Amino acid sequence: MSILLGILEEGLIYAILALGVYITYSILDFPDLSVDSTFPLGSAVTAAMLVAGLPAPAALCVSFLGGVLAGTVTGLIHVKLKVVDLLSGIIVMTGLYSINLQIAGGANLAFFGSSTIFDNSLTAPLWASPAGDFTVVIISLIAVILVKLLLDAYLKTRSGYLLRAAGDNDTLVTSLAKDKGTVKIIGLALANGLVALSGSIYCQKQGFFEISTGTGSMVIGLASVIIGTKLFRRASFMKTTTAVIIGSVLYKACIAAAMALGIFPTSYMKFLTAALFLIILVLSNQTRRKGAV
Amino acid sequence: MKKKIAATLMIIAAAAAAAGCGGNSQTGTGTQSQTASSAQETSSQESSQAASQDEASYTIGIGQYAVHGSLDNCREGFLQGLAEEGIEEGKNLTVLYENANGDGGMGTQIISNFLSQNVDMICAIATPMAQTAYGATKRTDVPVIYTAVTDPVIAQLATEDKMPAGNITGTSDKLPVEEQLQMIRQILPDAKTIGIMYSTSEVNSQSTLEEYKEAAPEYGFEIIESGISTAADIPLAADNLLTQVDCLNNLTDNTVVSSLPIILNKANSKGIPVFGSEIEQVRIGCLASMGLDYVELGKQTGRMAAQVLKGEAKASEMPYEVIEEASFYGNSAVADNLGITLPEDLVSSAAQMFDSIGDSNS
Repeated sequence: MSILLGILEEGLIYAILALGVYITYSILDFPDLSVDSTFPLGSAVTAAMLVAGLPAPAALCVSFLGGVLAGTVTGLIHVKLKVVDLLSGIIVMTGLYSINLQIAGGANLAFFGSSTIFDNSLTAPLWASPAGDFTVVIISLIAVILVKLLLDAYLKTRSGYLLRAAGDNDTLVTSLAKDKGTVKIIGLALANGLVALSGSIYCQKQGFFEISTGTGSMVIGLASVIIGTKLFRRASFMKTTTAVIIGSVLYKACIAAAMALGIFPTSYMKFLTAALFLIILVLSNQTRRKGAV
Repeated sequence: MKKKIAATLMIIAAAAAAAGCGGNSQTGTGTQSQTASSAQETSSQESSQAASQDEASYTIGIGQYAVHGSLDNCREGFLQGLAEEGIEEGKNLTVLYENANGDGGMGTQIISNFLSQNVDMICAIATPMAQTAYGATKRTDVPVIYTAVTDPVIAQLATEDKMPAGNITGTSDKLPVEEQLQMIRQILPDAKTIGIMYSTSEVNSQSTLEEYKEAAPEYGFEIIESGISTAADIPLAADNLLTQVDCLNNLTDNTVVSSLPIILNKANSKGIPVFGSEIEQVRIGCLASMGLDYVELGKQTGRMAAQVLKGEAKASEMPYEVIEEASFYGNSAVADNLGITLPEDLVSSAAQMFDSIGDSNS
């Protein structure tokens, strides 16, 4: 039971990160590595604010805005300074590492005593109820659904259509007399905002900020997006955003299963992730080829 | 093609299902822990209560933050400490051991895996692991025993009076900074500057460095610091630092200690002595250390864990402990190479003297 709870908690919180990666990787076709630092950026901002006694919802908002800012910088470097997409991400990722350390005042900052979105006077009755074990899952689920609905709604707006067009066919954007660069920057800003939001929620669950949690965020997000979108590519009733969320939970389930099986030491985890990644990509490529014939 | 996707899903599902069984069979050496399969949610409380009553057996999940000589010694010592109290691996103790390899995200998964396997106790080695375990067990009855946490107060695992913040206690590996400075002064009467390399990403290193900077003037030293971001920065940082200092001094910084052989090589070629922060570093080529014996620290932790497991004490009521006395460790082979004579009174009081330079891999 608790193994499932653990998977759901982690999977749902990381699903918000995956939705961010979905915007850059799937919609914009932009491999955005700044994610590895915007995730801990959200955590650092949150930890610093909670330690200073500021309310948790404010920390969520400021984290999101921090991510938006970082994403904008990645976008500006790419669009205005004409740096290759991969490198713009790497530049922001590297620079932010130091900024994160500055924000949190060090590599590790604990706030176990502060009230968080999971642990406050409003959620106290929930913790005390028979469903107390599910508190984190319930709150994370609400957050994920909110983010998903807002994102779905945004993608239907004029700006959202342009975003999708920029990834698929950027000449269309130009022919509509819109600047495709601006559209890309908006996409990156939104994506990194979501990633930082995910980092904020994650760190509120943990009760402390730790600089190393950002390592591999990009891969987790990418794996979730690929698992979700490839497995459910034929499921036309399901929105892609939903598929990505399920992908995130499935990814965490795979990791938890591999760990609980006890066959592989944790040092093999990255290898297993890579293998899983490859299998799903190869399987989905075969589908595409057969479909084309 | 749909079949293949379905097959992949099946494999994932099968793996997840097997995971549940795997967990139970691993904890299955104890009779009472087999009830886990029928009542997973409540069994962690039950088993720990049952455990305290009779000839029970226990399951401990040991989560270690990184692979590192000192931390490995802690773990060994921990198991020895438990064995001294009659809780032995293979007899009445099942140990689940996982290493996060320095990945904070992995640490979370490790702890939640332990909790799902209904462990009676979690042993967390190093600060991030202890914090993760504390956060994850807040709403459960699973006690956490930590070790190798330099400052439990800053990490918010304990309050100023050393009392636990929750159902969590353990041992701190706070370095004896004053004693170390005094020893360096004794060995190098003319030295003026001490170089300290540390990772900007390790909170323990930063707090210890501050202590050094504060205490150094008292012993007539100036501390020259060099912060690094990754292990890849070490060679350049070492070259730079070695041009400015009379000796180097190590903290318990995970990244720096892992790359110690590189630093030792460079320092030796310049004839600059390197002081260690614990026995393991002296064994592999540091000149000397007023340091901790991490095996002893682990043993102390193991004895605390035994008290909690047997129900003699509650983790939430035990103050955290430190090793009060620092002991001297020296390496005479290194001293000979550098042409330094270690003062006789230090050598005679040494907890251990090495007469060769050990292999860094073991």
